[in-house]
Amino acid sequence: MRTSGSLRMLFPRTALRTTSVLLNTAGGITGGDRFTTSVRAQTGTGLTLTTQAAERAYRAQPGETGRQDTHLTVDDGAELFWLPQETILFEGSGFRRRLHVDLTGAASFLMVEALVFGRQAMGERLKDIRFDDRIEIRRDGRPLFLDALKLSGDVDGQMAEPARGAGAGAMATVVHIREDVELHLDALRRLVQDLSGRGLRAGVSLVRGGMLVLRALAPDSYVLRLALVPALELLARTEIPRPWKI
Amino acid sequence: MVTATDTNLLTLAQWFSPAYPVGAFAYSHGLESVIEAGELISARDLDHWARILIDHGSGRSDALFLSAAYLAGTPEDIAEIDATARAFAPSRERLMETELMGAAFCRTTAALHGVALVDLTYPVAVGRAARLCDLPQETVATWFLHAFAANLVSAAIRAVPLGQTEGQGVLASLAPLCVAVARETLNGDLDALSGTALAADIASMTHETLYSRSFRT
Repeated sequence: MRTSGSLRMLFPRTALRTTSVLLNTAGGITGGDRFTTSVRAQTGTGLTLTTQAAERAYRAQPGETGRQDTHLTVDDGAELFWLPQETILFEGSGFRRRLHVDLTGAASFLMVEALVFGRQAMGERLKDIRFDDRIEIRRDGRPLFLDALKLSGDVDGQMAEPARGAGAGAMATVVHIREDVELHLDALRRLVQDLSGRGLRAGVSLVRGGMLVLRALAPDSYVLRLALVPALELLARTEIPRPWKI
Repeated sequence: MVTATDTNLLTLAQWFSPAYPVGAFAYSHGLESVIEAGELISARDLDHWARILIDHGSGRSDALFLSAAYLAGTPEDIAEIDATARAFAPSRERLMETELMGAAFCRTTAALHGVALVDLTYPVAVGRAARLCDLPQETVATWFLHAFAANLVSAAIRAVPLGQTEGQGVLASLAPLCVAVARETLNGDLDALSGTALAADIASMTHETLYSRSFRT
């Protein structure tokens, strides 16, 4: 393992799995920054990756873009959980993020990417940002899951539209790839349904055999966490890293 | 640019006619659950949901896949584009819709035109078939998007229900958007993929558990 610049990786003691906490000592990302992380879980290992705090995409200079590239490799028989805390997009931010995941054979993988539109406690609204996000998961070199989200300009107005954000202030995508993942389908659907009264709008789908996708729109990051913490614990079959619960 | 001949246009009229056996009428693309939830009750709502899907959702991404397949050189490239289209499907039913419509389109079109097409997703099948039949790319993409819009309108007319004339009015007003999106996606650049019709994608997921369903998606 090697880190440089403001990126650190901590390994707190835990029971069964190895947990690694990524820490950006700069506190966030701004235009011109570049963060690259590569992690491999080898056969027979279980690894959880999380972040110490929410990632912040700060205001960038016009035309400048912060970049974050993450490449995860999960060998046959290994299990990797990619559970970073939410990313908060600030007004004026320019952020390009890429997550590439390479699975081999019967590798298991669980991931979440949660996004918060502006610092809501201070009533910030996103009227001029550039965000470009792409998640690509391949198994044995073949595309398995692809998600791409490009948002620019008046994101506040776009997220207010019924067919787009339906008024959401935060959103999340969860993907779980594991042979027996359909066991959790009904419980997850009940879990998100129970939060519909708090404004959560979510769907859970077994898109193909062994691959479950949950997508959620929430009024704010608090309601989003009410759904994500139990959903991730259900899928991970264990408590999720402590930073998620603070 | 190749100009469409009358023969070309009649081929497209046939491919995108409701009589062409791809079964489009059976798919609401998630609109049925939006209608069931009371969130699509008027022609104005329909215009919004269809416009977002065409401009920011599966309409634009399918147009990219169609153009990418049209421009692809080798069978390996087609296979990669097709696998990417499957990976980009946001829900089980959306994947089923593009797989079943695509497989049906391949069977009929291969038999009709004597071209090699097997089990591709719908936009990839149409793009590849158009190339093999030497049809003009932009015209094909525009008709494809218009057929997509027409199918959303038809589903809403039946499920809301809406008046025929009202529904056709929505379709007519969507035509310039179909033309624009087809033109903007001509380079088939899959790095431009983006899906921000998030509530529409979630609706296609929740359709899976809808109690009473008239549509397959």
